Amino acid sequence: MDDSPKPPSDPTPPLPPPAQSHTGSPTDFLKGVVGKRVIVRLTSGVDYRGILSCLDGFMNIALEQTEEHVNGIVTNRYGDAFIRGNNVLYISAAEPI
Amino acid sequence: MESNGIQEPFDLIRLSLSERVFVKLRGDRELTGILHAYDGHMNLIMSDVEETIMIVDPESAANGQGVVNVAKRKMEMLFVRGDGVILVSPPART
Repeated sequence: MDDSPKPPSDPTPPLPPPAQSHTGSPTDFLKGVVGKRVIVRLTSGVDYRGILSCLDGFMNIALEQTEEHVNGIVTNRYGDAFIRGNNVLYISAAEPI
Repeated sequence: MESNGIQEPFDLIRLSLSERVFVKLRGDRELTGILHAYDGHMNLIMSDVEETIMIVDPESAANGQGVVNVAKRKMEMLFVRGDGVILVSPPART
């Protein structure tokens, strides 16, 4: 039943090892940015810049030291902010992960 | 890095119960009021609420910033449907 030749015992991996922090799943990215400065853009176009405290599976987000930016202008500041996940368009890392 | 033991975003809301919170809603509306209850949809029960509605005048919107009119009203007790919520901010924490 084993008609094909066996590969050598030490097959070379099909993919090169991951380059430093530039690959990985979306989940890996999100784990990496917790505690870092991020920019959260909502579908409305409003940006929130702050430190990502945590987030959940709905992409609900808790931010600290948050600035609300509308058209590049700071329109509000919040010590803490909860953002409901359905409004989130993207989360951008604002410092090296 | 967790500065005050928040494990998940809803902890922020839980710690704001019985406090005055700021809520940003869809449709250029904002609320401030005392948070009494919430659930996983972010349905909210609030009391002593002031609602601020930003009304953009299309005529003057052409020549710059468009917020011309701000309407306010007060409500004693309010149920907020969760899908209208954009952001909730607790009072300045200790």
